[in-house]
Amino acid sequence: MSATPAPPRRAAVPARRRSAGRTRQARAAWLLSIPFLLLFLVFTAWPVFQSVFLAFTDATRRDLRSPFAVDFVGLENFAQALADERFRKAAANTFYFVLVGLPLTLVVALAAAVALNKGIGRLRSFFRLGFYAPVITSIVAVAVVWRFLLHPDYGLVNEVLSWVGITGPNWLGSTTWAMPSLIAMAVWRNFGTAMIIFLAGLQGVPASLQEAAALDGANAWQRFWSITVPQLRPTILFISVTTMIGYLQFFEEPFVMTDGGGPLSSTLSASLFTYEEFSFGNYGYASAISYLIFVVIAAVTVLQFRLLRERD
Amino acid sequence: MSTRRTRLVVALGLAAALSLTACGRSDTPEGTGETDAEEFSSDDLQGEIEMWAMGAEGEKLPALADAFMADNPGTTVNITAIPWDAAYDKFANAITAGTTPDVAMIGSTWSGDFAGQGALEPLPESFDTSGFFEGAVGTTMVDDVAYGVPWYVETRMVYYRTDIAEAAGYPEVPTDWEGFQEMAVAMQGQPDVEWGINLQPGGEGSWQQVLPLAWSAGAETDDAEGFHFDSPEVLSAVEYFQSFFTDGISDPNPPEGQTEADFTSGRIPMFISGPWMMSLVEDLGGEGFAELYDVAPIPSPDGSTSHSFVGGANLGVFTTSENRDLAWSWVQYLSDPATQVEWYGQTSDLPAIQSAWDDPALSDDPKLAAFGVQLETALAPASYPSWTQVSAAFDGEMEKIAKAGADPASSLAAVQETADELGTGQG
Repeated sequence: MSATPAPPRRAAVPARRRSAGRTRQARAAWLLSIPFLLLFLVFTAWPVFQSVFLAFTDATRRDLRSPFAVDFVGLENFAQALADERFRKAAANTFYFVLVGLPLTLVVALAAAVALNKGIGRLRSFFRLGFYAPVITSIVAVAVVWRFLLHPDYGLVNEVLSWVGITGPNWLGSTTWAMPSLIAMAVWRNFGTAMIIFLAGLQGVPASLQEAAALDGANAWQRFWSITVPQLRPTILFISVTTMIGYLQFFEEPFVMTDGGGPLSSTLSASLFTYEEFSFGNYGYASAISYLIFVVIAAVTVLQFRLLRERD
Repeated sequence: MSTRRTRLVVALGLAAALSLTACGRSDTPEGTGETDAEEFSSDDLQGEIEMWAMGAEGEKLPALADAFMADNPGTTVNITAIPWDAAYDKFANAITAGTTPDVAMIGSTWSGDFAGQGALEPLPESFDTSGFFEGAVGTTMVDDVAYGVPWYVETRMVYYRTDIAEAAGYPEVPTDWEGFQEMAVAMQGQPDVEWGINLQPGGEGSWQQVLPLAWSAGAETDDAEGFHFDSPEVLSAVEYFQSFFTDGISDPNPPEGQTEADFTSGRIPMFISGPWMMSLVEDLGGEGFAELYDVAPIPSPDGSTSHSFVGGANLGVFTTSENRDLAWSWVQYLSDPATQVEWYGQTSDLPAIQSAWDDPALSDDPKLAAFGVQLETALAPASYPSWTQVSAAFDGEMEKIAKAGADPASSLAAVQETADELGTGQG
């Protein structure tokens, strides 16, 4: 516990007394950490433990009253999930969402940040607020507006398209367009956070490096790729990891926009599938899927750290 | 990360240890509940009870409770309004925790679940349910024991534009499948009409439109074992349902929330829905629109008996009630014909007891009377706990039928697989 270096005098203290003092100190430490430990055990460790336990059992809603009187089924829940056509569809949808949505968010956020950092002078704070506003707006309110915008007959999007002679689709009702619509909404909703962090990152890129490169004849584009982006590497890593963790668990967009799975389950996400199974009361199965999602997130995060870590 | 991983490893170890030692289901299924009805006394009522009710009912019940309390001095009926969205979970949690109210409004598909957990009292013998709509009474039955009494009902009928139908040469709606479809085609041929009929192309709750067709074809979709969708009757109904989409009579990708507007504008002059739609289309259509539409029964293959879907809610008393005399007396008051007519006036909830329909408030409206006739033969799926999940599977397959041209036989086989796997859900 004590962080101060032990004074040399202490070496002279007899061993017995020293150990007694340590014991007393240790006892006090334990005593003082009991409130935290209790809270941790009851509200953090126990739920994790119980959900892991559930994942290996056939527990359902009806077992709530005696949660341990259930049968242990081994890996059956996991096998069932991997064989479940609907879960595979949900997993594929989730990867689609992440693979398209994550790069798009990064590109849009970086572009906005660079523009705010360099181009737009006077209106900077106005645009910064404008781009960040979707992040702090309630998704429910946002969903109402987006559903209205995307309405096939009266929506603004199709109205604008009709000016140039294009008949827009029923965005949220089409198996092809429902997911891109949700991705567009998610990018719009989330790039603000990334943009703010990129802005901070851009401030940290030394101006001297840029100047030196400019003196050596590098144009703006070359400076961006050879100076700015490498300098932003830690920022990119941070943003891509946090955004990806969020996107792998995407749930709100389909929940509010397409009432769940959308047309022919084309917007069913893995988290939404878990939610459905929980609401059916299949606690064992749903817990197993939650852990599958957890494992995937952990694996992809490790991969990202590998790919984007600092190179010497 | 690392702390989370360590935690996971520790938890996995604990789970493995525990699974080896502690648990396992007991051989006897627990909580099948009482099946013997106990009588109640409505003399000398006093004390306090708590009732939960959802939606508009929860908001309007206090007025009835006041009237009841005025008739029975010394009693208190507390009404707690709970939102529909959260209702099922709230009940499920309350049953687990033993904190259920005395009386509650119970969704018509929930009885099996709650009674299966031993949470509901069987209906005392002094209640005579013969006067209620048969289909509605069916939603209170679990293994031939009634666990409550129907409170209000609703059923689904075909709404159609009389003016457009007449112009298309159909003063009457054919009651057989073939004639009905021909009528939809004929109406689609009228000017400004885009689709013949608005059918829900699968998705949540679409079984409420498809199963009535199957029942009208003579299908029995449930028995003591669970649900059955592999019969030729269900198949014929699903094929009929699909033909509306493959023949271009119904829109497989309708924009949402347009049913009323499309009906009043005549763009889609038919749809299937419940009695609440009457006021919605009349409000939207403006003055005189009530003369421009009517309701007709769900068609059957040969025009014989039509079976629609009966929905609504029941009243039940929980086993945890400490004042069951008052609880059942309150339920008795609510299901009395006179109260039911009064309640209709306050909420437009249709009475579950048939004699209340003789009141001029209901019998004078021909459309309402038509709903009354349809209710006499209306059915509901068995209230097994597995129904939520089975119906979700059914709705998902119906979406493939309507939008993706899936094969009805293989779709129904897929639903049946889910149904067989889950059984009644009471095991």
